[in-house]
Amino acid sequence: MDQINLRFLFYGYSAAWLIVIAYVILLVRRGQKMDKELTRLKNLVDERKN
Amino acid sequence: MREKTVYTLGLIGSLILLYNLFTVFMVLPDEAMQGAIYRILFIHVPAAFAAWILYTVALVGSVMFLVKKDFAYDSMATSCIEVATMFTLVNLVTGSIWGRVMWGIWWAWDVRLTSQLICFLLYLGYLLLRPAVNEPTQRATMSAILSIFAFVDIPIVFMAIRWHDARTQHPAPVLETGGLAPEFKGPFWLGVLSFILISGAMVLVRLHQENTRREMDSVRREVHAL
Amino acid sequence: MNYGLSAAWSIAWKDLRTELRTKESLNAAVSFSLVVLVLFSFAFDLGREELRSIAGGLLWMVFLFASALIVNRGFSRELPNDCLDVLVASPVPGWSIFLGKAIAGFVLIMMVELISLPVFGIFYNIHWDGAFWMIVFVAAIATWGIAVVGSVFSAVTVNVRLRELMLPVILYPILIPLLLGAMQLTGALLNRESIFGDNNAWLRLLIAFDLIYTSLALFLIDFILVV
Repeated sequence: MDQINLRFLFYGYSAAWLIVIAYVILLVRRGQKMDKELTRLKNLVDERKN
Repeated sequence: MREKTVYTLGLIGSLILLYNLFTVFMVLPDEAMQGAIYRILFIHVPAAFAAWILYTVALVGSVMFLVKKDFAYDSMATSCIEVATMFTLVNLVTGSIWGRVMWGIWWAWDVRLTSQLICFLLYLGYLLLRPAVNEPTQRATMSAILSIFAFVDIPIVFMAIRWHDARTQHPAPVLETGGLAPEFKGPFWLGVLSFILISGAMVLVRLHQENTRREMDSVRREVHAL
Repeated sequence: MNYGLSAAWSIAWKDLRTELRTKESLNAAVSFSLVVLVLFSFAFDLGREELRSIAGGLLWMVFLFASALIVNRGFSRELPNDCLDVLVASPVPGWSIFLGKAIAGFVLIMMVELISLPVFGIFYNIHWDGAFWMIVFVAAIATWGIAVVGSVFSAVTVNVRLRELMLPVILYPILIPLLLGAMQLTGALLNRESIFGDNNAWLRLLIAFDLIYTSLALFLIDFILVV
């Protein structure tokens, strides 16, 4: 019983951290992509203005 | 300034979380009935609390958007709902794993489980529908309406399922009974606090992205105009 | 107020007449529900007692899917020729446009239900024993809820890409409490139980659902239709 108990406790905590970490990675990557796109667009505007 | 706030919130939240994990695993004794698995409580419930708080903030943001037509409120609502939905998933998954040990099954169609699952599905629908509208005002209006309807729906769902089958094996909720042993209370509320701080940092990051997206849209229009 | 109501009525009447002329969504919904009823008979091989216990749920699944087809058309019917813009720009208040749409949806869904209910009785050997009209009564209360919530989401998702696919994603979960009540009451009626005694709570739930969402929709519709 205790063995199973501990194993599932481990699963529970790992699952929770995995979800949170996956979300944070998603968040960061999306942010980076957007920043890149924004600078690209801004450069485009500058180019066309000149 | 914004980044500093994000890092401060995240850092304080994580430190409290680490300290709390130490207490939960090293100091607290096993619970008499459940053994070691009860420790899931310290992420299961804080995740739910953080999610509910964020859903409520999102509701306020949605109503404010409809009244003021200011896109900042729309961004706030979406950011909150996205983070909250993630925490609802954490809540569901940890609960399911706990149920596998205590009940021997992964899932029971119990009041709390079912209404939380429907809550998750509703807000998932919100997040799926949002990118399908291109025009910003329409998108924001639709999102606000969905958020209000979803929020109103949850209590009705809860009542309906409770009438349907009042039997529940879910442990008595902490808020209603206060039935938490005194030595668990400190770590429990610290856990809630750390989750709220961390989710606040996440919402701020997400909020910044919404602002970047709006800026991108305006720059795009400028590019087209040129 | 009176003007708004009569405007709502004429919008509903207009929708019903166009629908009855082409019978586009009506035909689709009726034939869809008949097909699903037949499919269910293959999916579940049921004795009489088993059937009684799941008939309510079965019937409402059919009604729900069929009404999604009808509700979907509610506002998107006005999209060609920019009719929706004209409708919103007209002096008719927003709530009466919405009420008209909801009434039209309600009548159409009721039509589908009134056609498929006897067919259901024939296919599954139901002895109504006077329960038929009580089931119609319950269906009317539940259908009003479906029509109201469906019309709101139809209005909100008019401009959504892949609307037909997206609408159910949000519509079905919202309707869960309503469906739960309707299923309970229909099942009770098929078991010859009264819906007023022990099952009173479900009836109250349905009525409360209708009241809450009708008022919420009438209150919010002016924000939706400004487009």
